[in-house]
Amino acid sequence: MNTPPQPHFVRPCTRIWLALITLTAVTYSIGEAGLGGKNIMLLVLGITLLKSQMIASYFMGLRKASPMWRIIMASWLVIVGGMIASAYLMGLQ
Amino acid sequence: MSTPSIVLHSHKPGSPPGDLAIWFFIFAELLAFGIFFGSYAFSRAHHVELFNQSQLLLNRESGAINALVLITSSYFVVRAVAAIKQGLDRECANWLAAAIGLGCVFVVIKLFEFHAKFSAGISLSTNTFYMFYLSLTIFHFMHVILGMVILAAVMLKARRGGYTPEEHTGVETGASYWHMVDLVWVVLFPLVYVIR
Repeated sequence: MNTPPQPHFVRPCTRIWLALITLTAVTYSIGEAGLGGKNIMLLVLGITLLKSQMIASYFMGLRKASPMWRIIMASWLVIVGGMIASAYLMGLQ
Repeated sequence: MSTPSIVLHSHKPGSPPGDLAIWFFIFAELLAFGIFFGSYAFSRAHHVELFNQSQLLLNRESGAINALVLITSSYFVVRAVAAIKQGLDRECANWLAAAIGLGCVFVVIKLFEFHAKFSAGISLSTNTFYMFYLSLTIFHFMHVILGMVILAAVMLKARRGGYTPEEHTGVETGASYWHMVDLVWVVLFPLVYVIR
């Protein structure tokens, strides 16, 4: 029996995996350099939200799901990111 | 003989991969972790110095390696789903075994980390930072264990030929849960180990 071709989502997911590895290395390097402050926090948080969205859309397959599911996930990310950023800014005062 | 084609959607169009029930469970879990993350962040706002000093004593290498381990494990699970869509049940089981193997690596690294902290006399009552660090990471640790149990059950069924390209909801259900476990660590690592 012929094996069906590899599903089309494998290649984009491989690229996403490599991007996630790279972005994790960037986050780790920022930590190792001991960097802090508002701008660094926003950069690290931005990378984190980007990585989370990549996992949700590609690995979890939500990009093929109806808008309702994507909105629920995006709302979670926005609320969690918003809480982290606003609490950080509160701590600066 | 016609070339077999891949069934891309074994579920209702528009619904996320896997059993619908797991998605209610996933979002309930994300809600719990979200509240936990928010509590950590706002608690830090009141104890910035304490949190920054305590964070310096964490093993950032372990946290980063575990992030890479879970991300790669998640990718292996993607490959397992791809394999079963092609009808390659043994290959699917092998990818799942590799994902579980990386789950074991995560568990071992985390146990070393916990052991180091407990040996140094650190506990939930040491200070507010460690209360959050230990409870957050132990809560996530239990999700990793549960995820590995789910993946193991799916792997055994796949090995027995229990899934087909037409019906493999179980593989997608287990995969979705495992990705959630990965997603939570992707937020937890920078929040607890890096942001200062």
